[in-house]
Amino acid sequence: MKVKVATKILEANDRIARENRKIFDGAGVFVVNLMSGPGAGKTSLLEKTLAKKDGLRIGVIEGDIAGSDDAERIEKFGAPVVQINTGGACHLDANMISDVLGDLPLNELDLLFIENVGNLVCPAEFKVGEDMKVMLLSIAEGHDKPLKYPLMFQESSALVINKIDLAPYVDVDVSKIRKDALSLNPGLKMFEVSCRTGEGLDAWVQWLKVTAGKHRVS
Amino acid sequence: MHEVSIAANLIEIVSEQCRKDGYKKIESIHLKIGRASGIMTDALLFAFDAIKTDSLAKDAVLMIDEVAVSGRCRDCGRNFTVEEEYVLQCPICGGASFQVSGGRELDIVDMEVS
Repeated sequence: MKVKVATKILEANDRIARENRKIFDGAGVFVVNLMSGPGAGKTSLLEKTLAKKDGLRIGVIEGDIAGSDDAERIEKFGAPVVQINTGGACHLDANMISDVLGDLPLNELDLLFIENVGNLVCPAEFKVGEDMKVMLLSIAEGHDKPLKYPLMFQESSALVINKIDLAPYVDVDVSKIRKDALSLNPGLKMFEVSCRTGEGLDAWVQWLKVTAGKHRVS
Repeated sequence: MHEVSIAANLIEIVSEQCRKDGYKKIESIHLKIGRASGIMTDALLFAFDAIKTDSLAKDAVLMIDEVAVSGRCRDCGRNFTVEEEYVLQCPICGGASFQVSGGRELDIVDMEVS
């Protein structure tokens, strides 16, 4: 006997993501799913953002396969932080986020960063309840990344290009990164920064404040 | 890369529907997997066979239709299909304004039960 199923395989995850999103909206918190390959500088970008946050109340969920190093780095800035260990899984999913929502003072936050597991492939597939995805790429990873990992560039609202201070030392064509990323996603907002020197970070934080602020008013 | 969690989601969905509809066993499952979905068919088949034991799908085989990446160009108004996992420009006129409509599928179409 043949029976129709007509269901998306990720429907169970998407449903929990929608429930998470409702909780975030109810608390008035804007949620950014921050994604990149390992070592691109996600935690460094969060540290620099926390140092420039002014009045913005920011919380962080740290996703890693193992360890709590990242959460400890964030804690030093006085921000509420929860560490999730995926125990081997290559991405965060909506259920993992749902499990830790009670551990964060959501009503006292304006902005919540969900730092995904370092991986350029899988995190782009799984919604976690975010308002937007932001991806980070360090120039040392090479200019071929947009075409090798197109999905992440297509799914993101903004691309932060990090370690721009290394440009004189590595054979990378940053304009090709920008061009290919824009071809994949014409609406992509791009920032070139160096978390080490501080270059470009003001523009990123300013944009974040405006974007999160718009959400609160609406 | 996460084919095991995809296979687990799949088994959960079909098992629930099989039970709900009052059947005992799933014989085959028909899927549509887009070429831009990030899922490798071979890895999914392997993962499914590895974890299907002890479920209503323990004897089930997967039948997978791969779906090519396709879209419609706003400049020339034509529909296109590409070989790659992404589209950078309209393959017909080279235009940069296009809408991708197919290739991201991860869908369960139907299944054979008894």
